[in-house]
Amino acid sequence: MGKLPPSLRSANFAVNTLIKTPSPSPNSKPHCYPKKSQPPKKKPTSNTEPQLPSSIVAFDSTSLSDAKTLFNSLISNSRNPTSDNKFYNAVLQSFSSNSTLQDSIFFLNHMIKVHPPFSPDRFTYHVLLIQSCKSVDLSLSPVHQVLNLMTTNGFPPNKVSTDIAVRTLCSLGHEEQAIELVKELSSKDSPPDTYTYNFIVRHLCKNRPLSTMNNFIKEMREGFDIKPDLVTYTIMIDNVCNSKNLREATRLLGVLSEEGYKPDCYVYNTIMKGYCMLSQGGEVLGVYMKMQEEGVKADLVTYNTLIYGLSKSGRVKDAKKFLNVMMEEGHVPDAVTYTSLMNGMCREADPLGAVALLEKMEARGCAPNSCTYNTLLHGLCKGRLLDKGMKLYDVMKQNGTKLETGSYGTFLRALCRNGRVAEAYEVFDYAIESKSLTDVAAYTTLESTLKWLKKAREQGLVI
Amino acid sequence: MLPQRMKKAMTDNPKKLANLIDLVNLPSTLREFMGQSQTSRLGCFKRVWSYIKENNLQDPNNKNLVNCDEKLKSVLLGKPQVELTELPTLIKLHFPKQPR
Repeated sequence: MGKLPPSLRSANFAVNTLIKTPSPSPNSKPHCYPKKSQPPKKKPTSNTEPQLPSSIVAFDSTSLSDAKTLFNSLISNSRNPTSDNKFYNAVLQSFSSNSTLQDSIFFLNHMIKVHPPFSPDRFTYHVLLIQSCKSVDLSLSPVHQVLNLMTTNGFPPNKVSTDIAVRTLCSLGHEEQAIELVKELSSKDSPPDTYTYNFIVRHLCKNRPLSTMNNFIKEMREGFDIKPDLVTYTIMIDNVCNSKNLREATRLLGVLSEEGYKPDCYVYNTIMKGYCMLSQGGEVLGVYMKMQEEGVKADLVTYNTLIYGLSKSGRVKDAKKFLNVMMEEGHVPDAVTYTSLMNGMCREADPLGAVALLEKMEARGCAPNSCTYNTLLHGLCKGRLLDKGMKLYDVMKQNGTKLETGSYGTFLRALCRNGRVAEAYEVFDYAIESKSLTDVAAYTTLESTLKWLKKAREQGLVI
Repeated sequence: MLPQRMKKAMTDNPKKLANLIDLVNLPSTLREFMGQSQTSRLGCFKRVWSYIKENNLQDPNNKNLVNCDEKLKSVLLGKPQVELTELPTLIKLHFPKQPR
């Protein structure tokens, strides 16, 4: 119960969407996402060609000569081979997915030779680029090879190439190489756009120490005059809040205003979330007031975080007030909102009120999620209302709702305390059967609960 | 609360975890019951518990008690009746700490 998930998750989500939602810059974004989904998209195209079963695009052999033969037969067997480059790119991609970079390059040359109408485009080289990034271990030489190949064939690397390379490298954990590549490309006139830049920053936040990211930002600023934007700052603040680094968060806020940025809704949401993270949920109200002052419009996540923070710091009355405020503003409270509020009510030893709220939310057409049920179960058990808890558990079982570690432990203890060990065993079975917990986690909790029960009995605390 | 802290210690401690899930060679009494020569403490517990359920050995008047049949008696110290509470402890007896 002391953990953050519900509102946090949504706040996190907001930051992510923030990065993706802004309208894509002219030619950068559309490329890298379609890229990934290319093979599935490709299949329909190849299916329209009756002689080409879609399975033919899948190479099961890694041998270059086999692939060449396959391609030859593909071309000679179909009366009028498609002129759609996508098809050839898909063929190349499918081959490259289980062969070496060198072979892929040979195969591409072969394709051009055998079937002259096919002229490789940028996508074609990006297929190779992705593969080269995957084969990086310590040096970037394969990537350079492909980049040179692109330049000599009239497709000098651009923003898209940078983005693709960086995303591939980062997804494989080669952050250092990605940084090196970005710096190199920046000096060669294809600097990363804001999306690529923010992607790296976010990735570094998650996977590297803070100093790596700070160095990167500093180097980009000094070397290439690429500065963090508002989104970058949001990512950074979010990150330091997650690691409970209050001092750094305050410093970043200062930098933010020095740079002349006006915090938007997402920044405020992140700050609120940060306070919740630092167990200073009461501070959220101040942040909300500031937002009102600055004329920033609060969104659903703001209210969810606000209600969560207030509930967590024991100000349920205020939290309830904001439930009404948000509805007046036209926001529809969701499961997260209600669960946060129930959490607060359970903390105030008012589990019955929380159950009443459950009925209310269902009446309003909002379906509870597993977190809602777990919160209530935990609250009821803590409030010594085991029978109500048992009823709730039956509902959970009917819906196949998973138990969470915290509520599972509390429930077991409550059952054992009331001498209902057999039922505790049954809950143990359900936890395993519904895959809520691992066998080990479920068993250790049961074992330690029984041990505790034995001790309590010896001391005469429990009958 | 105490149990939670204990649980955390349990999963954090690789030795204790190994104690629970490592396969060990079983003594002959257990071997017969389990129908296999190796199992982990966790596996053994789950087997015994499912055996109790399959054969309806829980006391109809007090579900917390188990009336052992002959086969179960052989693994649970020959007791005619055991409490569910002591089940993990009894099973643990078959899995002495291994000197390392």
